[in-house]
Amino acid sequence: MELQRLIRTLDQFWERQGCLILQPYDMEMGAGTFHPATFFGALGPNPWQVAYVQPCRRPTDGRYAQNPLRMQRYYQYQVLLKPSPDNMQQLYLDSLRACGIVIEDHDIRFVQDDWESPTLGAWGLGWEVWLDSLEATQFTYFQQVGGVDVQHVSCEITYGLERIAMFAHGLRDVYDVPWSRRTTYGALHRESEKQGSAHNFTQASIPLYRNQFDASEEESNKLLTARLLLPAYEQLLKCSHAFNMLDARGAVSQSDRPRFVLRIRTLAKRCAEAYLTQDDEKT
Amino acid sequence: MKKPKQGEGSRVKGRGKSKKPFTLHPSPFTNVADLLLEIGTEELPAAYLHDAVEQLRREGERLLHEAGARFAAIEAFGTPRRLVLAVSRLEAVHTLPAEEIRGPSKQAAFTPTGEPTGALTGFLRSRGGTVEQTKLVQTDKGEYVYLVKPARQRQTAAVLPDLLQQLLGRIRLPKTMRWDDSALRFARPIRWLLALHGTRPVAITAGRLRSGRVTIVGGPVRPRRVSCASPATFWGAVAKQGILLDERRRRGRIDELVASAAAQHRGIPAPEAATHGLLDEIANLVERPVAFVGHFDPQYLALPREVLLASMGKYQRVVAIQTRAGALLPQFIGVLDGAPRKPDAVRKMYEHILNARLQDSLLFWEQDRVRSLAVMSHEVSGVTFHEKIGTMAQKQERLAALSGALAQQWALTPQESEALRQACLWSKSDLVSTMVKEFPTLQGIMGKQYAAAGGASTAVAEAIGEHYLPLAGTAPRTLLGQALSILDKYDTLAGYFAIGIEPTGDQDPFGLRRAAQGIVEVAWLVRRPLSLAALFAAWQPLAPFAQGKAAAGARAHRYIFERLSTFDWPKPTPRRDVIAAVLAAPGDDLVNAMERIVALQALGHAPELVRAAKVVERTHNILKSAKTQPAGVNPSLLQEPPERALWDRYEAQKERIAQLIGAGSYAEATTLYGQAFFDPLHDFFDQVMVNVPDAALQQNRLALMQAIKVLYTERVADLSQLELLQPSPLTTTG
Repeated sequence: MELQRLIRTLDQFWERQGCLILQPYDMEMGAGTFHPATFFGALGPNPWQVAYVQPCRRPTDGRYAQNPLRMQRYYQYQVLLKPSPDNMQQLYLDSLRACGIVIEDHDIRFVQDDWESPTLGAWGLGWEVWLDSLEATQFTYFQQVGGVDVQHVSCEITYGLERIAMFAHGLRDVYDVPWSRRTTYGALHRESEKQGSAHNFTQASIPLYRNQFDASEEESNKLLTARLLLPAYEQLLKCSHAFNMLDARGAVSQSDRPRFVLRIRTLAKRCAEAYLTQDDEKT
Repeated sequence: MKKPKQGEGSRVKGRGKSKKPFTLHPSPFTNVADLLLEIGTEELPAAYLHDAVEQLRREGERLLHEAGARFAAIEAFGTPRRLVLAVSRLEAVHTLPAEEIRGPSKQAAFTPTGEPTGALTGFLRSRGGTVEQTKLVQTDKGEYVYLVKPARQRQTAAVLPDLLQQLLGRIRLPKTMRWDDSALRFARPIRWLLALHGTRPVAITAGRLRSGRVTIVGGPVRPRRVSCASPATFWGAVAKQGILLDERRRRGRIDELVASAAAQHRGIPAPEAATHGLLDEIANLVERPVAFVGHFDPQYLALPREVLLASMGKYQRVVAIQTRAGALLPQFIGVLDGAPRKPDAVRKMYEHILNARLQDSLLFWEQDRVRSLAVMSHEVSGVTFHEKIGTMAQKQERLAALSGALAQQWALTPQESEALRQACLWSKSDLVSTMVKEFPTLQGIMGKQYAAAGGASTAVAEAIGEHYLPLAGTAPRTLLGQALSILDKYDTLAGYFAIGIEPTGDQDPFGLRRAAQGIVEVAWLVRRPLSLAALFAAWQPLAPFAQGKAAAGARAHRYIFERLSTFDWPKPTPRRDVIAAVLAAPGDDLVNAMERIVALQALGHAPELVRAAKVVERTHNILKSAKTQPAGVNPSLLQEPPERALWDRYEAQKERIAQLIGAGSYAEATTLYGQAFFDPLHDFFDQVMVNVPDAALQQNRLALMQAIKVLYTERVADLSQLELLQPSPLTTTG
């Protein structure tokens, strides 16, 4: 199944499960978890079922298109179900079947992963799912988001779309994955990976990203004070991306790292608290 | 699913022959039935399983015993998807022993006219008794009502729901979660509960879940629900699926599978798979182990062994294969959970992934080698050791400066000293290498590789490579590795104690207990002098954050010495009281203290030791009454012959005893000490009063006692701590 059809298939599968099918957020982020539909969706008392594709930026994972598995930009398919249903594992396996994977032919394993996003102040317990040892999905029961204990536990499923496609086709290199019948992933993304890696590792302006981090942090705090939490959260996303870029450029020393992380987490916490009190005001 | 016929499940696995026929149905007329509890979960973390199973068995046994229940055997098992408790031949009826329960006082229990009060009836109601069952008992606080409950019989089935419910709540796991809106927490979601007592279900709940007689087998891919008429049906279903419930059996099977897979390629599994815990982990990742052999690109054999093993173990949990001579082969063994239908496709994907991982590792290896350790040693200034203590670069420099103090004590040659200093300066540098960032467990090991690649001497490279040891039973083997290991751990301990971080009870986030244990272990291996005061004197000026914290240093030293109580001593293991006696006079040299412990232990209960101990004890006891610290002995004040004799003996022997102690001949020193003083001291106490009214005379006699006591105790051990003195075997002879 080509990648474009895989996305459609997952959309249909999760739509049948009652999910709202959203679009990617139009900002750089390190994971689908940062999409407001997950960050805020996991908070508060209301049920929430959502699925969407989210392109992700991991500047330090760039390999100039030389590694068959690692990329500085890739696609996640993200599902969040709140409350988490009792048959979540089976739903996930059914979604693999829907994607044309004959799971009985393979070795499918749920291997412990205590997931944590220190910048989002979020953690949960779950697994990385191995398909014949290919780590293709992350599976997490959220316990805390934005430093707040969740009221209802959400289950988050994050598929590595390229990896699922690679696996379904029995391929060894992500760049060989067919996007459509005529176009490969490599034709679309090999060049962007090469250029992106060079940018992240050698060219990105360190002062620019340092300034952006500081400026966005200040802006976010200002917006929070003005009770504009969604724009404030967008500035947090910019901080997070600036931090990742600085990291790839080797501009974050080990001792700087915790301070950067804490600054982002502080914003995340303020956003989460603002979101929850806003909910209180509405009801 | 066919329902098994009654009695079909009466197979009781190897649990002895019962002459009496019994059914599995618990009733007053049949006496025993098996109890089975299964907690069905989504995949539990491998590292939790062993302990969870142990808790289930231990707490289950404890609860049953507390309830007075009797049974033949109790066992617990676990796989990633289930925790199982099996109690065999649980007796249907058990006896509660008679008890007497104290109630209210007589005054509170009865009105003046002798009628029971509300206090008494309330007490009886809560304890299930009647007025007829009470009696009055005179206690030291007055007269009290006691409820006397006779021994009685109880149906075991009646207590099981409550008991199993409690058992569920007693399993404590390191990290727990919620998964629904109940308050229930566990390591991963519980999805089913099976609880059977013979053929009857036991009703318990976990959050929103209710127990039943259904188990799920076949793994998440092909789950099959099996309704169990009795525990025997469960055992049958598990066996049919090939599920190995017992961790040890699973591990044994994996050992066999891995060994025979390696043998196909005329190799053996890399021994690190066993020693570094990989096989233990694998055993708790599967319930139906199946093995296969895969290949990887031989170009990656150029990577250091440790890197290959880490790459294989960390992401895919696959086992490396080597020749009998120890060279790695371009093959690996994977262990799967159940046999997949397309094993070739599975193998190929494992191979792709491993090759991709190794490609990354090769990239890291090449990048890091170009950078060289000398460059990294500067970059490590960006790595914080602790914010109040400083960076890793500063730690490296402190270690280098401190190394002289150890080199002196150990009488290292100038070349050795210089190599040690160099190793110190590079010891933490590999922390900034991409390889160690990717595989933190390779710290030190990569430093060694990069040092060697940069042309450092073998001694320097080995020292860097070994300094995080001892770990997992492996100790540093080279002298400089041992030196660096001690220096690093000493600096860590002294540093944390100086900023007020000390381990307490089970709170030890910085691993200080292990560091102190490491110092003891390595010091004993080296057996060269180790004066902690000398190290501290050299260390403190290097640590601005520790200025004026001499007391913290003393506590750190005390902490290191206290590890002698838990040290893994060579046989015969020293008795606790022997260790306590030496710790009461620890001195400053750790190795010296350890040698004294071994020497005293070797004396056992020899009469020589007992005599010496008696001398220490008697002088110790009389000195306890002294109000002031006695000054020196004034020989002109010695009046009585026995005290003169004692003093003469002291003057005659003190040099020799001190010499023997100085030479480390503790057995001889002890023998001589006992010989020299036991008899004259006996005469002294027989004939001379110490606590006389004349203060000068009294002080002088106390001073004599003090001189005799400390001659031994200050440099060997405070023998008054020895248990062999209580009761004293000498009271009859001496």
